[in-house]
Amino acid sequence: MTVDQLPLRRSTPSSQQRRAEAEQPLVIIVDDDASVREALSELILSAGFLPVSFTSTRELLDADVLESPGCLILDVRMPGTSGLDLQHHLAKNGNPKPIIFLTGHGDIPMTVQAMKAGAVDFLTKPVRDQTLLDAVITGIAVDAKRRADAVIVKRNVERVETLTPREREVLREVARGRLNKQIAFDLGISEVTVKLHRGNVMRKMEAASIGELIRTWETLPAPMRQA
Amino acid sequence: MTIAPNSLGETDSNATLALTHDLDRSGPGSGRPFATNEPGLIRGNMISDLERGRLSRVWSHRPQFLHLGLFITAYVLGCGFAQSLAIIPGTGISIWPPSGLFIATLVFASRYSWPWWVLGACVAELFSNFLWFHTPLPAAFLIFAGNALEAVTGAWLVNQTCKRPVRLETLRDVLAFVVLAAGVAPVASATVGSAALAWFGIQSQSFATAWPLWWIGDATGVLIVAPLALVVFQNWRGKAQLSAARWMEACVLGLIFLGIAALSLSGYLPFAYIIMPPLLWAAVRFEFRGAAVALTVLALITAVFTISGASQFAGDPESQKHNQIMLQLFLGISAFSALVVAAISRQHQAAVLTLRESLEALRDRERELSQLVDMVPSHVWRLTPDGEPTFFNKRMVDFLGLDVTDLDKQGIGRLAAMIAATVHPDDAAAFGDTLSHCLATGERFSMRYRLRRADGVYHWMSSRAEPMRDHAGLIVQWYGLCHDIDDQMQAEEALRRSELQLQQMIDAVPVRIWSAVPTGGPVYFNKRYQDHFRAVIANVERLREPRIEELLQELVHPEDAPEVLRTLLTCFETGGGSAMRFRWREKDGYRWAECRVEPRRDEDGAVVQWYGVSLDIDEEVRAREALRQASDKLAQATQAASLAELSASIAHEVNQPLAAIVANSHACHRWLGAVPPNVERAKITAERIIRDANSAADVVGRIRALFKQSTETRTNGALSSVIAEARDLVTEEAMRRGVRISVDVESDIPLVALDRVQIQQVLVNLIRNGMEAMDSGADDGVISIRVRPIGDVVQTEVRDRGRGVEFPDRIFEPFFTTKEQGMGMGLAICRSIIESHSGRLWVEKNEPRGATFIFTLPVEMEAAS
Repeated sequence: MTVDQLPLRRSTPSSQQRRAEAEQPLVIIVDDDASVREALSELILSAGFLPVSFTSTRELLDADVLESPGCLILDVRMPGTSGLDLQHHLAKNGNPKPIIFLTGHGDIPMTVQAMKAGAVDFLTKPVRDQTLLDAVITGIAVDAKRRADAVIVKRNVERVETLTPREREVLREVARGRLNKQIAFDLGISEVTVKLHRGNVMRKMEAASIGELIRTWETLPAPMRQA
Repeated sequence: MTIAPNSLGETDSNATLALTHDLDRSGPGSGRPFATNEPGLIRGNMISDLERGRLSRVWSHRPQFLHLGLFITAYVLGCGFAQSLAIIPGTGISIWPPSGLFIATLVFASRYSWPWWVLGACVAELFSNFLWFHTPLPAAFLIFAGNALEAVTGAWLVNQTCKRPVRLETLRDVLAFVVLAAGVAPVASATVGSAALAWFGIQSQSFATAWPLWWIGDATGVLIVAPLALVVFQNWRGKAQLSAARWMEACVLGLIFLGIAALSLSGYLPFAYIIMPPLLWAAVRFEFRGAAVALTVLALITAVFTISGASQFAGDPESQKHNQIMLQLFLGISAFSALVVAAISRQHQAAVLTLRESLEALRDRERELSQLVDMVPSHVWRLTPDGEPTFFNKRMVDFLGLDVTDLDKQGIGRLAAMIAATVHPDDAAAFGDTLSHCLATGERFSMRYRLRRADGVYHWMSSRAEPMRDHAGLIVQWYGLCHDIDDQMQAEEALRRSELQLQQMIDAVPVRIWSAVPTGGPVYFNKRYQDHFRAVIANVERLREPRIEELLQELVHPEDAPEVLRTLLTCFETGGGSAMRFRWREKDGYRWAECRVEPRRDEDGAVVQWYGVSLDIDEEVRAREALRQASDKLAQATQAASLAELSASIAHEVNQPLAAIVANSHACHRWLGAVPPNVERAKITAERIIRDANSAADVVGRIRALFKQSTETRTNGALSSVIAEARDLVTEEAMRRGVRISVDVESDIPLVALDRVQIQQVLVNLIRNGMEAMDSGADDGVISIRVRPIGDVVQTEVRDRGRGVEFPDRIFEPFFTTKEQGMGMGLAICRSIIESHSGRLWVEKNEPRGATFIFTLPVEMEAAS
């Protein structure tokens, strides 16, 4: 891992401000060509972002920087695991980090494959600075949004985990839009008990209304909703 | 036998050999030395030669001394006998046995020995005269002369008349003997003797009284003694052939004969002629020999009784003469009768014998014929004119197990019964129809049918029958012959079957087979071939006698036909086999076929027949073609890949520093545009830009160097061989595309320094470009390659008739292409290669169409000098 320490220390005031927010996004560059890697880092740095570069995907995976906010700039053609392979690998592991592809000689099938798999952009070398920086900003924004959503989901999951199994059942039935009577019948309990459970759920989930409860429910991961 | 006057020596002695054979076996032995010891005589006077020849022959025919002595003795005894019988006082005229002996001897002896016998007789008679007759010598000699004349005349006449050897076995011989020897010859002796007696007045006999006595005496002598003498001569060395019964009969007969003779002559019986029955008995039973012996015995007995006076022929002197005549007549008649009867008996016996023999022969013949009919290895049969069988030979009976008589059945005729019983049911109707047709018309019957053998097995038979007609032309019988041809039919059937099988095989095998005579005219095509003809040639019947050229024209792809014809003609000319591949015309297009031709030769090695087989290999050829195309594609793909890879690699190599330069430039720009400008960072980035730009230049330099690396591998080579190699590389593709490549290399092309592989690549590239340019158009695709020296360079032109070049100026630029799948690198690389060889590559337009790519290569000066 060759994190360019120098630019970090001599970063612009704005970047220093963002760094002060502790979670400054990282722009991760993977390219086997040293001069390209160096030049891209320089460009990202000059644009006020924090670049970190790797010579191969293998090196990237070993570095454990993927959890940090930011985006990826990948060269498609590289010795070892290619950029497209890495994209596939990350998607499989539930890491939806935004990826910008760079290639010296791209073709349409390759582009389509990359875009379908969720790439932010597919750019050819040599690339215009603004194009690349726009893509980087988009990537970072997408990542930030995803991270914010993830915080809410995490909170909601934590709240759900405080529910008893019966309350979870009642929550699921309520989310499906069923009446108390129906729920009582299905679960073989009295309607009063249902109302009791429902009150507990509303309280534990910190939902002010049924609509809010349902929106919270919708943010839960699918396995949890089906369980 | 007549002897030619000039036939002498050996020939004569040979002739005498035959004449003296019977009497004198030592003749040849005595004759030969005489003839061979006197060779000089031949050269003397002709006449004296002849005389000497005769004399020598007489000398050589001299009889054995023993024979002559016996003859003289017998003659003398005969004279004595005559003397004793001369009862008439004063005359010696009586039975004269010597005449018989004399004649018989001469008859038996060869003519050339006659002088000896005459001489012997003379001696004997003169000696007898001295003993008994006492006639004066001249008279005695005269009388002998008469006797000799008689004997010679008699013997000559008998020999002339009768067949030699004289055996007196036929009536004709006996009569001739009696008339000539006993009747005519004694005339001479009687005349001479009577005249002599009269002349000399001996015993006062007159000629007239003496002559009859003399004649009859001699005649009787001849009749009685000559047969006996002949019997003695002929049986001199012969063996007794009589059986015991015959001997017994002979003895009994002898006793009876003696008894009757004694009784009759002694007067106890009324007359002498009573002896006739036993005499004739002897003649009948014992023939000539019996007659001769009996006569001799009778004469002796008669003589004895007459001399003793007991005989009725003895008497007083007055009647003596009469009695004498009667006696002689008795003996003469007896002899005559006995001889005639003996001859008749002999003839009868001979006839009986002949009859018996012919009967025997006839029986043998019949047996042989019957055996022939039965044993001939065929069936022989006979039909009535109505067709009823009347005879089967033994083989047929054995075969059928029934005879004609077994066919007699109630209601139906023999023929119908025979057909029903023996002819195969399938053939019966045809057999009956054919036979009745033949019977009605009289035509010859000939047919093959199956006949049932006794054990029930049917055999194929070949049967023929022909009618026998009488003088009027009416059919009397039908005779038929029928032989077993079952083996032949079986063999024919087997042959037919095997032929059929072979034919079926030849027709069934999935190849076309033909054969031709050495002159090349087709004689046979198997069924597949013929079907092919019918399918392909519009009206096959038109080609009744198809010639090979015509057939090839009709059947073979026009492009292949000349080559096939040439190969075939070469085969026929040289007698060697061949294999060729060409396209057959089929009903729906052309198919590839392989044809192999081989001759069959006789022992002398001369070609007897040509055989050819044509095999459909279309799928094989097409599969191979597909394979070739696939491999070609693969090669092309590999080439394309390598070219694409090359260009991608070039792009990547150049692109990376460019990308870095661009990024750094932007960064630099930003550092400088920042407030305040970060000059330090900008400096660093500017340095990186310089570094990366240099690195890009290095990449370009390295690519250029790629094409210069081969300089060291260059050799001095002939361009023609490189062109030939390049042409080989694209031949397959050219064939597939239907493009012909013509190469025209002028002689005396100087050597050039070249990298064979690179120049090959250039040529292949140019040729392939040309072929691709012609793909969409003309079917007469030709790529002409021409090489000629111009000044100090060798110029190579690759000319096509394709679309031509639209942008001749840009075509050699890298990444310029008019092809959908091209990288646009081929011609650029070609130009690089040629230029690296210090040559030039350019293109010119052809009229009316097409393009010519021309490149030059400098002549290698060192090699040229």
